[in-house]
Amino acid sequence: MSDDAQPISILIAALGGEGGGVLTGWLVDAAMRSDLPVQSISTPGVAQRTGATTYYIEIYPQTNASLGSKRPVLALYPSPGAVDIMVASELIEAGRALENGYVAPDRTTLIAATHRVYAIAEKSAMADGRFDEQRVLRAARELPQRAILMDLTRNPETRSLILNSVLLGAIAGSERLPIDTETFRDAIRHAGKMVDANLTAFEYGLSLARGAIRQAEPEPELEPPASPPRGLQALVSDAAHSFPADALAVVELGLERTADWHNLRYARRYLDRLKPVLETERRVSHSELFPLTAEVARHLALWMTYEDLIRVADLKTRADRFAKIRAEVRAKPDEPVRTREFMKPGVEEVASLLPGFLARPLLRWADRRNLTHRLHVPMRLTSSSAFGFTLIWLLARMRWLRPYGSRFAEEQAAIDGWLDTVRRLADRSPDLALEVARLPRLIKGYSDTHRRGLANYRAIMDGLVAPLLTGDGANDEEAATRIAEARKAALKDPDGDALAETLRPAPNAMAAQ
Amino acid sequence: MERSFKSEVDLLRQGDGDVFEGEGILAITKGLLQAGVGYVTGYQGAPVSHLMDVLSDAKGLLDELGVQYQPAANEAAAAAMLAASINYPLRGAAVWKSVVGTNVASDALSNIASAGVKGGALIIIGEDYGEGASIIQERSHAFAMKSSMWLMDPRPDHERMVDLIDKGFELSEASNTPVMMEFRIRACHLRGRFTAKDNKKPTHSRLNPLTEPNFDYDRICLPPSTYLQERHKVDVRLPAARQFIKEHRLNEIMDGPRNEIGIVVQGGHYNSVLRGLQQLGLADAFGASQVPIYCLNVTYPLVPEEVTAFAAGKRAILVVEEGNPDYLEQAINAELRKADLQTTVIGKAVLPMAGEYTAEVVLNGLVGFLEGAVPTGVDLAGLANEQTRVQDLKDRAGALIGAPVPKRPPGFCVGCPERPVFSAMKLVERQVGKLHVSADIGCHSFSTLPPFNIGNTIVGYGLGLSSASAIGPAFGDKRTITVMGDGGFWHNGLTSGVGQAVFNKEDGVLVIMNNGYTSATGQQDIPSSKGPDGAPMAMSIKRALKTMGVKRVSLLSTYGVGPMVKALRRALTTKDKGLQVIIADGECQLARQRRIKPARRKALAEGKRVVRTRYGVDEATCTGDHSCIRLSGCPSLTIKENPDPLRDDPVASVNNDCVGCGLCGEVADAAVLCPSFYRADIVSNPNGWDRAVDAVRRSWIGLLQRLARPRHQLAQPAE
Repeated sequence: MSDDAQPISILIAALGGEGGGVLTGWLVDAAMRSDLPVQSISTPGVAQRTGATTYYIEIYPQTNASLGSKRPVLALYPSPGAVDIMVASELIEAGRALENGYVAPDRTTLIAATHRVYAIAEKSAMADGRFDEQRVLRAARELPQRAILMDLTRNPETRSLILNSVLLGAIAGSERLPIDTETFRDAIRHAGKMVDANLTAFEYGLSLARGAIRQAEPEPELEPPASPPRGLQALVSDAAHSFPADALAVVELGLERTADWHNLRYARRYLDRLKPVLETERRVSHSELFPLTAEVARHLALWMTYEDLIRVADLKTRADRFAKIRAEVRAKPDEPVRTREFMKPGVEEVASLLPGFLARPLLRWADRRNLTHRLHVPMRLTSSSAFGFTLIWLLARMRWLRPYGSRFAEEQAAIDGWLDTVRRLADRSPDLALEVARLPRLIKGYSDTHRRGLANYRAIMDGLVAPLLTGDGANDEEAATRIAEARKAALKDPDGDALAETLRPAPNAMAAQ
Repeated sequence: MERSFKSEVDLLRQGDGDVFEGEGILAITKGLLQAGVGYVTGYQGAPVSHLMDVLSDAKGLLDELGVQYQPAANEAAAAAMLAASINYPLRGAAVWKSVVGTNVASDALSNIASAGVKGGALIIIGEDYGEGASIIQERSHAFAMKSSMWLMDPRPDHERMVDLIDKGFELSEASNTPVMMEFRIRACHLRGRFTAKDNKKPTHSRLNPLTEPNFDYDRICLPPSTYLQERHKVDVRLPAARQFIKEHRLNEIMDGPRNEIGIVVQGGHYNSVLRGLQQLGLADAFGASQVPIYCLNVTYPLVPEEVTAFAAGKRAILVVEEGNPDYLEQAINAELRKADLQTTVIGKAVLPMAGEYTAEVVLNGLVGFLEGAVPTGVDLAGLANEQTRVQDLKDRAGALIGAPVPKRPPGFCVGCPERPVFSAMKLVERQVGKLHVSADIGCHSFSTLPPFNIGNTIVGYGLGLSSASAIGPAFGDKRTITVMGDGGFWHNGLTSGVGQAVFNKEDGVLVIMNNGYTSATGQQDIPSSKGPDGAPMAMSIKRALKTMGVKRVSLLSTYGVGPMVKALRRALTTKDKGLQVIIADGECQLARQRRIKPARRKALAEGKRVVRTRYGVDEATCTGDHSCIRLSGCPSLTIKENPDPLRDDPVASVNNDCVGCGLCGEVADAAVLCPSFYRADIVSNPNGWDRAVDAVRRSWIGLLQRLARPRHQLAQPAE
């Protein structure tokens, strides 16, 4: 017996409630079946409730029989730099393990699922709060002695595999443990729960770790760009003539979207609005690239297709939507799916479809009675029933009414105002214009969310942008930075505290006055 | 309770020579039975809940042995039950989470410790300290010292832990003193094995009842007995304990060749010290250390002769003692001074005063100690290498990843019935302004974390309402809200909170989360837990409140956000005086799923019609503002890449963990967020009627959909 054999350490990082305990149980059982000294630790408690949690296992690589009366003292804590197999059930948990030094280039096999389960801070951000995955992935590939990484969520055929048992298979296949593959299978069989499904997943993990299979890159889900609908073809070829390559893709999307939202005439209007911006940028830019045009094309398309009641009804009654729902809820072909909608248009949304002479008094009345935020038309409709569907479908057919509605006129005026500002500033400073072009990103959502976004947009337009139009352009560079900061601040908190802070004049400027 | 612990109970039945394999806390339970325990009580809490879970499922076994098992209403009640050992030779054990449980128990504990015990009294405490702990970070050590109880801290090894339970009872009897035995989180959840022994029947029980009550005024905690008892503690019990500890070698000395230095360690940290030494090349995997180790399985009282004998002849010793104050380091210093030994004592100088002693912390402490002590024959340069290696590793990873990865705090489970109440509170705050909320202990304290950030204070289990008594009036006419769980309500909230508020005619709003269990500790039953028929098995919260004189009690389903908003607003603004109570009723989703999932699987397998409900988000209408997430935080409500190439912000999305509680739809509706949520009912094994209706609906819908294709798309060739 050699005295220098060291315990093999396995650290499992998982999310509470994911069943990391089951994986740990299998490993312990497999080690015991192999007569190896083993010890495992879990730290349940509150972390079990959806938080990050870890399991730690030590296995001594010599059998109890060969050790006689000697028993190794196994540790209760993992030591950074001294983990042999690091298992992570999710990418950021792998990142956390890397950060904490549990993955060593001279020792550690990293077995990690690389899909994302977003943390609350990432999810609740008002825009895009997601952590940079690519950097974690790079570290996960570069740092360990060996990396076995997998993303089961990318392909439909692996999506239904049980992650725990895939990981167990990968541990077995990594050949870092002196345990027979069959013994791992026995552990699964002995536990006796969903044995077949677990064994199937185990085999997948095993082959993956042995290099017998490679995870296929997912098929690009986007179909090859279809030729535009015939009615749009004229507009698309018009665009192709006038617009540079880097903006064209966005313009085509914009054309399709505006046509889809209203009609071909509206799509033509989109193109007409965009051309002056392109001309301006051509005049002032010395580059082959047209970032301003592309950015305006994007936001213009989104703004022109604002989400009104008709649009929502239209999207909710489309055939591909129901197909998507069936796929998302994993309904089998023979299973009927009933869908129920939670639509609750408020006074403003209803008024927006009425012509101004009716909308204005209605809104004034609601405002006087303090009802603007409180009066709604609850529409809990079963969209899968003939009645419910027909009702929503009829609403969607009312798009011809749109141009007569008060909101339509307001939005078009606001769009023109924004375009005008962008063009005028572009003459002076394309960078500044680009920042202004990005501002409509703040306007999104419905009801309160929409009101808040619009208020933020206006606050920045009035507070920061409007004064620039009369200025001499001396501070354009600084202004661009301030506008960018204000845009980010507006997306920081829903109460607008950060934005208010950003828009407040600097204290020294006040003192100077 | 919805879980079954049958396989664990089978382990408890093991006899002589069987190999027990399982978690530490279960081994401890087995140890109690092997030691002939007569009664067991306690209050659930991580990391020792499992002991109670298993015993409550072990009625048959306990009846055979004549062991009484009674879950207590709270830790004070559990401690009070140890009174059975004051007059009679009856072995008993009480269990709870510490330090909080010991705090609650301390009134009874002080009295029992003063009276002294005839039968062995063991207090098993789960020392909830460090990573994974959910409570204030304090040591239980001080309680042992101030009440003259003994504190054991067994080395985490199943064989040793079980043996020390037996020894703990003997120590208690030999010194007439209750013994506290602490197990840290990891020791409780340590899976290992030991060779079992037969269970022992207690000396007295239902099977062999006591006949004569014992009256002994010396055992009454009133003067003048209390003066006698105090003297007995120092004159008799303490020396007897030290004698016993020494004689039975409860502490362990592992000698080693580098005996100019030594390490004194709390039993619970022995493995970490050994692993550290191993990493530094100073120990092998089997516990043979080059540096002598004095492992304290009893950390109070110290045995002065043992301490001085270990320190004598050593230049320096390291004391590995987690937490603060550094009682052991101080006591060892004092003992050495008294013995006039010049050995240098190093402890908190190289180890942190606060925080858990993880492997890394201990390793760094060992390196610090060795670098200072400079023992002959140890390569100091090599020591630092290990530290630098680990630091380099972290630095490299940090540089590659760029920024610290996002934290993942715990939160409400998918479909938790408590979440909607806080969604409602957020919405009420929009109407009446920010509120002062006195929070309490329980799952609901997750409200203090993102995305809710609701709850201004937490001061103890069931103490939410009492903690609002002084702050309430300070806010004038604007009422404050208290949140209390049903667990906390029965633990002591009923008397210290509701009783006090009614008696003092306090104005305020109390929300009681009635999820049916003490959910945070593993869904143990409480007085208002419901039986199979849906009625409370023992007591009803509503009736209890009425009896206490509360006039305004409303019972609402937690999932109706709209009605909850209304009820909260009414309670906050009503002109009626007095306590306004809202009972938010919704069963713990973990327990519920544990019950209905197997039933559903079975029905599906039998080909029965089953309707599954879940929610979803229309990606086409979602604009990616995530208000819905900020008002919910449900783990199954997440985000995904925006399928719209024109948009950057990810869209909300409901994943397949959804249990269909409906909160996201309710919130979207109550807060008028957006029309993107939908509810889907999926009918598995549909019957003929389902199929027929579906076919008719689909053909009608299909017809309308074909009619509606925009004109510019009609020209497209058919697919």
